Amino acid sequence: MNKVAIVGAGITDCRGRWVEATYWDLFQRAARRTLEDAQVTTAEVDSVVYGIYNDIFEHQAIPESALTGHLGMVNKPGTRVTSGGATGFYAMRTAIMEVASGVSDTVLCIGGEKATDCYDPQSKSATPMVIDTIAKSWDPFFEYPLGATASDSYMQMCMGYNDAYPDDIGDSLVRAKIIEMLCRQGNKNPFGQRRDETVTVEQVLASRFIIAPFLRLLETCMYTEGAAGVLFANEKKAREISERTGVPPIWVKGMGAANESYQTGRGGSYKPLTSIVSDRVAAERAYAMAGVRPSDIQLIELHDAFVAQFMITMGEMGFVPLGQTRRLVDDGIMADIRELGDDRPPPKGQLLINPSGGLIFGGHFVGGSNMFSMWSARREMLRRHLPLALIHGTGAINAVFGGALVIELEDGGVR
Amino acid sequence: MSERAKILGAVWNLPREVSEVKGKDPGTYLQFNSHMVTFYQQTYGELSRFFLALRAGRLIGAHCEKCRQVMVPAASWHCPTCNFAEMREIELPHRGVLAATAPITIFPSASFIGDAPFARGYVDVATDAPIASFLPSRLRTTTGLPRPGIFVKGVELKLVFEDVREGSIRDIFWVPMKEVPAALRDAKPLLASKLDFNTPPMPEVARDAAGEQALARALAAVEELAAKVGASPRAQKDLAGRTHAIGVRTGGGDFTLHVADARIRVGAGLPPKPDFVMVVADAGVFSRWVADGSLTDAAVEGALWLPHKEAFGVLPILDRLPRSVRRDAK
Repeated sequence: MNKVAIVGAGITDCRGRWVEATYWDLFQRAARRTLEDAQVTTAEVDSVVYGIYNDIFEHQAIPESALTGHLGMVNKPGTRVTSGGATGFYAMRTAIMEVASGVSDTVLCIGGEKATDCYDPQSKSATPMVIDTIAKSWDPFFEYPLGATASDSYMQMCMGYNDAYPDDIGDSLVRAKIIEMLCRQGNKNPFGQRRDETVTVEQVLASRFIIAPFLRLLETCMYTEGAAGVLFANEKKAREISERTGVPPIWVKGMGAANESYQTGRGGSYKPLTSIVSDRVAAERAYAMAGVRPSDIQLIELHDAFVAQFMITMGEMGFVPLGQTRRLVDDGIMADIRELGDDRPPPKGQLLINPSGGLIFGGHFVGGSNMFSMWSARREMLRRHLPLALIHGTGAINAVFGGALVIELEDGGVR
Repeated sequence: MSERAKILGAVWNLPREVSEVKGKDPGTYLQFNSHMVTFYQQTYGELSRFFLALRAGRLIGAHCEKCRQVMVPAASWHCPTCNFAEMREIELPHRGVLAATAPITIFPSASFIGDAPFARGYVDVATDAPIASFLPSRLRTTTGLPRPGIFVKGVELKLVFEDVREGSIRDIFWVPMKEVPAALRDAKPLLASKLDFNTPPMPEVARDAAGEQALARALAAVEELAAKVGASPRAQKDLAGRTHAIGVRTGGGDFTLHVADARIRVGAGLPPKPDFVMVVADAGVFSRWVADGSLTDAAVEGALWLPHKEAFGVLPILDRLPRSVRRDAK
């Protein structure tokens, strides 16, 4: 496999709704910023991979077809990837493989979503229809007719975990403290959707229930409109671009993916209800490929669809023991951004998790959310001189899709 | 055909129009009403056997003789773990256990507005099989609203069939076995009409001196709120057009919350014909409500008992009152 580097990244402003732009323009803005960041022209890009989760959100089947010309990618290969919440991860995996195989020298991976143009005539608001559109990702025979949603599906996993490990994620105060910390981090993201909000523990605990008993409104990710891009390049091109920009390349060191069974069950290959096996397997594969251990990594951009799942995923990926994920707060493992400032790495024994604010405060435009995470991880590695980072993606019913990428800053950022 | 019987009711529509919307920049932009609806005559295909069985009051699974797994629902007739060996139909029992504690949906998607709160979960039916999938299922209780503590991992469940079945996963649901009269526990099929979901028994609350003191404090707080509602246009708007006589049973005694003419009023004892009766051991729930707490939360968490979802629908309106009063006082 050829070496693959991240040489540029760019995102749009994350908003609850963009009335000023269609998804055509959002993707173009993100592409423009990505290529400006890498100081390359569209002519230098060999191929494009699109992360777009849901045709219904974009209001067009084959939405990527309308983007080819807008992004300056005419007569180049274009692949659209859709894999639920993990669409962004799988799009990046596809782009990385295209470079690693030698088929392309440079690949633009770009993802986004235009979700909140959806509208529910009954409630005269967007949210119930957005939830319903996502719920269409569940089958029409068994799951959707029962009222399945992404929230209740992820909470089913959390309830199953709580059955196996009581007294961990079930403490609403611990979850609220994590939310408060993520909020402070989101305040520092110049593109973050909720960068001007202050959310306190008390507000989290007083916000209304979405799913009982583990999910209140302020514990859940947002619906965001926006787009993000990442430019991947092979070693020769990466060094050329790095010379041009003065920014060291960040290398893809490890990559792991795992999808569990759609059907839940006991034994065999069925999806267990007590754990997110896909997260564990994906992370273990990424660590093995990179030759690292979780203890080597201090920067994580995790797909925090819901804060209880955030805690489980941190356990599954080996950063804290399963059943003791509350130690992230109780033992101060989750670094406090107020103490780190804008340019210091976390001290030994601490982890910087979702400095972007994550999907709860930064933004969650599904098809590009994991590119958003990659953008943030690269930004933090460069300014804090952090040698390694992990980017995680999850998606689909009961969190059955999992993906992890380990990336490494060249020479720890020392030039 | 009635609106309700159609796939999409009239409410699922929008006027044909292009309207203006203000941007953040802050220019004027346009938006057009549209839809992306496709109608289906969706085949059940190989799943038809499972749904035909449901229509006949039977529950079937697919059994692999090689690995001895049971797939329920019978979602495939070829075993994915045994190189697609043929699976055979087996009859499944009408009892099972909940595989994991079930979440309760409070804020549903657009298609399920009006159904919340509801519980759904995964039921382990083929408990004798070494490997088995779980059946995604509706979960219902005869004891009032679904609330934490009822649908917990391992609880024994009884399969119930709707009296009129069309061939849908909603033709069936599960009820805690302990709520099913002993004489009906072996019924196959047990029909929904044999159980009473409409008049759930009120839970008993022990009355004591501490409860009476809590009630006295709560009534004083609610009376004070009622007076403030009289001076709050926002709160009156919250209550506009509503008339309720809500009985409240607490560990300190009973009272009635009357809602009429955009006002609330406290009455003594339970009303002769209440819209519904709420039950709570600790009347302090109402003191906390007045202090910007939440009756909805108390119901969701199980402290406040409600008989049905219609009662639940009233709570968000009541929850707005303290906030509206406070905002108008400013």
